[in-house]
Amino acid sequence: MWFYILKRVAQALPLLLAVVVVNFVLIQLAPGDPVTLLVGDFPAPEEYVKQVRAEYGLDRPVAERLVLYLGQLARGNLGYSFANRMSVAELIGKRIGPTLQLMFTALVIAIVIGVTLGVVAARGRGKLADWIAQIGALVGYSVPDFWLGQVLIILFAVTLALLPSQGMRSARSVATGLDAFLETLPYLILPATALSVRFIALFSRITRSAMLEVLNADFVLAARAKGLSEGRVLLAHVLRNASLPIVTVIGYNLGLLIAGSALIETVFSWPGVGRLMFDSITKRDYPVMTGILLFVSLTVVIANLLTDLAYAALDPRVRYTR
Amino acid sequence: MANLRTGIAFSLIALCVVAAVFAPFLAPFDPFRGGADALLPPGSKSFILGSDHLGRDVLSELIFGARVSLAVGISAALSASVLGLVVGSLAGFFGGWVDGVLMRTSEFFQTLPRFVLALVIVAFFGSGIFKLIIVLAVLSWPPIARLVRAQILSLREATFVEAARLSGMGSLRIIAREILPNALAPVIVTGSLDIASAILLEASLSFFGLGDANLISWGGMLNVAQPYLRQAWWMAVFPGIAISLVVLSFNVLGDALNDALNPRLQETA
Amino acid sequence: MSRFNRLVLFLVLASVLMLIAVACAPAPTPAPTAAPPTAAPKPTDAPKPTTAPVATAAPKPTDAPKPTEAPKPTVAPTAAPKPTDAPKAAEPTRGGIAVIAIDSDPETLNLGLTTGYSSGDVASKIFNGLVWLDGNYQPQPQLAESWTVSADGKVYTFKLRSGVTWHDGKPFTSADVKYSYDEILLKLHPRTRTLAPRLDSVAAPDAQTVVFTLKDAYAPFMIQQTVFDAPILPKHVYDGQGDVTKNPANVKPIGTGPFKFVEWNKGATIKLARYDNYFEKGKPYLDGIVFQIIPQGANRSTALETGEVDFVVDFYLPKTDVKRLEANAKLTAKRGQGAPAIDFMMMNTRTKALSTAEARQAVAQAIDRKRVVDQSMNGIARAARGPFGDGFKWLLTPDVDYAKMYPLDVAKAKAALDKAGVTAGTDGMRGKLRLVYDSARPQFVAAAQIIKENLKDLGFDVDLQALERSVLIQKVFLDWEYDLTLQSFVSSGDPSIGYHRLYITTPTKAQFTNQTGYTNPKVDELLAKAATAPDVKARAAAYAEAQVILAKDLPSLVLFDEEGVDFASKKLSGVWAGIDSRDRWDLVWMPK
Repeated sequence: MWFYILKRVAQALPLLLAVVVVNFVLIQLAPGDPVTLLVGDFPAPEEYVKQVRAEYGLDRPVAERLVLYLGQLARGNLGYSFANRMSVAELIGKRIGPTLQLMFTALVIAIVIGVTLGVVAARGRGKLADWIAQIGALVGYSVPDFWLGQVLIILFAVTLALLPSQGMRSARSVATGLDAFLETLPYLILPATALSVRFIALFSRITRSAMLEVLNADFVLAARAKGLSEGRVLLAHVLRNASLPIVTVIGYNLGLLIAGSALIETVFSWPGVGRLMFDSITKRDYPVMTGILLFVSLTVVIANLLTDLAYAALDPRVRYTR
Repeated sequence: MANLRTGIAFSLIALCVVAAVFAPFLAPFDPFRGGADALLPPGSKSFILGSDHLGRDVLSELIFGARVSLAVGISAALSASVLGLVVGSLAGFFGGWVDGVLMRTSEFFQTLPRFVLALVIVAFFGSGIFKLIIVLAVLSWPPIARLVRAQILSLREATFVEAARLSGMGSLRIIAREILPNALAPVIVTGSLDIASAILLEASLSFFGLGDANLISWGGMLNVAQPYLRQAWWMAVFPGIAISLVVLSFNVLGDALNDALNPRLQETA
Repeated sequence: MSRFNRLVLFLVLASVLMLIAVACAPAPTPAPTAAPPTAAPKPTDAPKPTTAPVATAAPKPTDAPKPTEAPKPTVAPTAAPKPTDAPKAAEPTRGGIAVIAIDSDPETLNLGLTTGYSSGDVASKIFNGLVWLDGNYQPQPQLAESWTVSADGKVYTFKLRSGVTWHDGKPFTSADVKYSYDEILLKLHPRTRTLAPRLDSVAAPDAQTVVFTLKDAYAPFMIQQTVFDAPILPKHVYDGQGDVTKNPANVKPIGTGPFKFVEWNKGATIKLARYDNYFEKGKPYLDGIVFQIIPQGANRSTALETGEVDFVVDFYLPKTDVKRLEANAKLTAKRGQGAPAIDFMMMNTRTKALSTAEARQAVAQAIDRKRVVDQSMNGIARAARGPFGDGFKWLLTPDVDYAKMYPLDVAKAKAALDKAGVTAGTDGMRGKLRLVYDSARPQFVAAAQIIKENLKDLGFDVDLQALERSVLIQKVFLDWEYDLTLQSFVSSGDPSIGYHRLYITTPTKAQFTNQTGYTNPKVDELLAKAATAPDVKARAAAYAEAQVILAKDLPSLVLFDEEGVDFASKKLSGVWAGIDSRDRWDLVWMPK
């Protein structure tokens, strides 16, 4: 197994290198100069523009910059953001927490509701409940999440004035620790809901099909024959077997979740990495942009690896080959 | 009930196609021409779905918007499928280093989320509709290529391919004549689902203000509707519903094709 | 592996995810704005505004200045301000934290390096200028206690306030002023460095005196002494510390202003707390200010309505929300605040179809500027009157009025184009024009659609190019790859600071300058005269002559004057003391 992990990591390295290289090529080809954005709305002095350009190494040829960057990277340095004037690693570190909080909450909501819907649908296969759950899943999979976010704002923040429409907590907040976390909860509800809908749909579909596969399997029939209550059969046998595909879906869709959170963070002014990514693209803050793309691809690679490992652990039929 | 569902989805797609093709005849107004009647609610002054901030008819915009959504969705999915078919067949049939290179490339595209790459490229290089289609196609081929490759690997040793090879057929002819027709079913299914995701992706990019300003697209309508959410809900609600319905229809269609063409194909997102 | 083990593994994976999420959650930060115990105000020691300079003139009305009230460069501080801040109804009380919305993280908090709006918003509370500008653009004492101007308008002598300290406790002296000018402002400030060629020397004969010697008189000199154009920075922090642009104080500033920097949570908040040793005793009234970063315009409006935010300046508000917010009983609206700003369409005179004045006039005649104002600005703007808008009443001339010169008339415009040689083909079209604008600015996104419609009537096929700002700057100002472009310039208090760059001959390619290819020596001469003429009458005469020429030549068509509307929660008193509502927050207080 360790050999397998090592092999996978070794395979991932060229991929990450490719991400950096492609990124540099794109930056080189792109029109627009980040320096123009850093010097304000008035014509900037030539010397100042030159100075800024030199300061961030933008006056050097792209190949040299690439080599320099890779050298830095090898030493664990992600570079320095020119729009934010702070180290990229520190910047991402500050913004990753809110994003994880949002993604995690959305996942929890999605698992709870999605699995429940899937169970209901599978148990009432072919009946009205199943039909409704299936249609619901398809709708959830088709509705643009950012639009849903807007509709949620209109409904719950504007019309009903029940929940805050944006941000993570009140700017006046002086809370710390657990209090701060509790304060964030009402702010979390709308964006997490909007982000979760697509995953509710995914999970309910997968739970349904996974359950249908095992509901009539021998061991379930045996369990029923042993006189176990229907609830226990569901929990102990059926759901446990359905957990495998759910783990897989989470792992392989992490990229989708990150992309989704960029849109949702924009709609709800959530101070996370997704929003930072969009800002870094529009501000041509190349070090941040490269850093986040690298971070995202690394996350996807690791998630895929963990998913494969989990898959193998959960299903003894899978062996570490490939 | 599955048939009813497919039927409805198919009708919706047909409706959308008709709207797109005959837009100039169906639209009650010229969607590119506004006037003083801005932000009127649905039903007023013959604006069935209301008017937008420039006094343009929302219904007419929706009808013309179908053109962009369908054009982007179908062209991108079609190009991606063709690209995926070609790459997948080459990789599967030749194996070896060809396979290695092509599959590593596809892995690269799968490592970075499509939306992220599309955002970077469109933000950098601008957003004409053709550029958008190319970007979406370039970003969407890998899953199809992997699918085709897997199919080909399993078909390569099949008896009918062996027979063709023994009868002296060339590699390319074998791929084209014998293997591809057999590998096509899953591609069609994935392709129809790709239409849905391409439409969503176009809408997302336009929502970020990165759409083609010379055209009317549903995502673009959502983008301009954003500041008017409270004054003119109809500017956001109708295009959102349109996107959802069309995407839904293509998803349902994909499901139905899946059931019909390839009952063994597992649904794994 | 048994089923039980699988369940355990699943649970472990889930809890690892959970732990990561919790561990990465932002570390809770202590509230920086907790009032120091000494600050607890008793009703009796509510500060009386006795520390303000003695007033000799009644506060002037804050409506637009009449021609006679135009900025007089030679004004001496005889008309020190009456504390217009002190509300008549109640005495200011101390306490409270105000929340101000901004749109993004400022690029720096060193105002010597940028004219960025959000930087100015935050840093203007931390730093001071020599003067501040009241509602009539009249300079009033800030770090300078008083000043005199020589008769020829070339020598400005400032007497500095004594007893001023930096937030780190060090004393403020004339050396700070001289250093700020010599090493930062004249070299690096995008606007103020244009003073460098006009300036002979900055001298500090003693610790409380600074003398500026100009080569020629320069009308807006005092206008440029505010915190936004000439913030005074601490010499002891920057001098000898290497590259100014890389100094850590740029993100952890040390100023002399009413509030001191506490903490910056990137992408979320910037927190400031009262500086207890502020030189105006008893001020500021607020315990602190929190800037909340809210990227979406609509969300900033919502935050005002829900009370999450107390103040949003016009610049950050979507025009679409203004009317709704004006109707909100919890909010105070203030229209027409801020320095005049114009939105305009630059026409590339290198483009064949736009190369003649007649063709450009025809374009002007075809654009429905009233509809642009109504629909792209939601009516919160004034359709343009001339090449400098109508924000500076004293320079207007009856000879120039776009409403009369270029009323909407498509037929006439078509005839004019035919005459100018821009003829239509058999399909009625006269060719393609690229209209380039910033995709992030809603008013341009909407205006571009209207202009496309209008110019189609004229026979032009307009290709809309909504670009990102950096690409836009490249295409328009550096590569000239445009035919028409929508832009806006802010005057920064005087047309010679902010507007001249739109028309004067610009030999080099630089962003936000005249890159239309238009060059007219007569205009250059008149505008140079307008900048240096000693009195308002002479300035107005030069502007009048220049406007007549520019209104005919039309290298750029001004579409409208912005009409800023700021909003403050009714919980705040004393806002809008100065012409720039970001300034003078030491006077803001929250009635209990």
